[in-house]
Amino acid sequence: MRWGMVVDLGKCMRCHGCVVACRVEHFLPLGMTWPRLIAWEKPVEELTTFPVRCNHCQEAPCVKVCITGASQQREDGIVWVDQDKCVGCRYCLIACPYQNRTFLSKDKDTGYFPGYELTEFEKAGKRSYPHTVGTTEKCNFCMERIDDGISKGLSPGIDRDATPACVNACPSRALIFGDLDDPESEIKRLINSNMGFQLHPEYDTDPSTYYFDKGRKGV
Amino acid sequence: MALRQWMVTHEWMVKPTPQTEWIERRGILVWIAEVFTSLGAGLYLVSLYFNNWWGMLAGYLIIMCLKLPPHILYFGKPLRFWRTLIPFTDSWKTSWFTRGINFTVYFGTIVFFQLVIGYLAINVYPGTAWETWDIVLKVFGGIFAFLVGIYSGFIMSYCRSVPFWNTAMLPLILIIAGVTDGLALMLAIGLVDTSVDIAAVEFGSRILLIVNIIFIAAYVWNATYISKTAKYSAMLLLKGKLAPVFWIGVITCGIISPLVISVSSYFSGDASTPLLITAIGFHTIGAIALKYILLKAGIHNPILPVKTSS
Repeated sequence: MRWGMVVDLGKCMRCHGCVVACRVEHFLPLGMTWPRLIAWEKPVEELTTFPVRCNHCQEAPCVKVCITGASQQREDGIVWVDQDKCVGCRYCLIACPYQNRTFLSKDKDTGYFPGYELTEFEKAGKRSYPHTVGTTEKCNFCMERIDDGISKGLSPGIDRDATPACVNACPSRALIFGDLDDPESEIKRLINSNMGFQLHPEYDTDPSTYYFDKGRKGV
Repeated sequence: MALRQWMVTHEWMVKPTPQTEWIERRGILVWIAEVFTSLGAGLYLVSLYFNNWWGMLAGYLIIMCLKLPPHILYFGKPLRFWRTLIPFTDSWKTSWFTRGINFTVYFGTIVFFQLVIGYLAINVYPGTAWETWDIVLKVFGGIFAFLVGIYSGFIMSYCRSVPFWNTAMLPLILIIAGVTDGLALMLAIGLVDTSVDIAAVEFGSRILLIVNIIFIAAYVWNATYISKTAKYSAMLLLKGKLAPVFWIGVITCGIISPLVISVSSYFSGDASTPLLITAIGFHTIGAIALKYILLKAGIHNPILPVKTSS
């Protein structure tokens, strides 16, 4: 089993719904964003966007360079950071060819309204999803939702309660989640039938996030 | 086409992006640590060659007091430093950073005993078994000093995300530069310790400065055709915003000036103290500048293809 995601660039409406859903799901500090929408100006006066997040590479350089073993890879392919082990050396930030990691410094966690009391949302976040200043963070494919869902007999990518928040939030179903090792899964079928591609395959990192683009137009 | 504000949030990810983590803000500590790594490891190795106890002590103190603390202070969670040590981690199997930190700790431990035993062997029990122990520990100390001097090159060269660093030449450049730095510091010790053979140190310095300039030239030249991003880094050094530091700091101060002084002393027969001090000062500026430009010119490949005009 290897969890992966495919992004249908033709369907992405640039609504930033995935970015917001992730922020809410993980109570992200204001200075940190796990999934991002990259603006990309094509040579022919056209603007397009790429939703990017941690690619959960099979051969993840961030896991290999981690000096304490805080960056780990599970058997299902998910790469995650144990914040209790991370010393904040930032080697993973530099080694990640996709620049999809963020170091949580104090200035990124000043509160949603600096100088004022924390919002109720922030207070809830401090209790249920604490983020440790001085460590590195990144997308974890909502592994808590996946684990919890599987324990209830649900199928990630099919049942909403076992599927990453960004995938659930996408209004145009541009994000599809599933098992890359299952030849019958929707994600595998979409990758095969649409010539799905990975970013920077030349690095031999074998990302678990694929993209395809069927006749996408500009903004 | 003018981009709307909300669409350019992450524009930096589609252009060659300088790494800032290890050179800006708190990252300056990494730069300082790299400079002292080179000076300390180089000085210890050179002192071993010339069998100079005071040089070994100075190299040891540089590594333990000026290199290790900035490295640890740079961490976001410095008190978790112990997590990087064997047996608390098995990351040494894949991570050069873990290996490097452990090399430094082993160097610190072994060389501490070597210095104590070496001092006793020279001053208290000459001609006894203490000397044998001193030699054994010197061998291990030398091996770990070499590893401490070279590991940061491997840390950087492992990063395929930064094409300018991603070359096997980088560790060689750093270790050669380190030994050259060590020779310069040995000259400084020679100013107060008459047992140092200044002529021999200068001879070694001349050779290594020439090797250094050949390696740096080959490294930068090589970068111009590795990839577009590596070429961008190389051009930053040659004629971009890092050019003053590269040409004045690394090439003129770090290599040409000490080489000219060294060659002139060869022909004049003896180097005057002011000239030696000038050469040492220039060389140290070069060591600081070299680490700066290497870290500063580390540019990430963009995630997506770059528009030609951007």
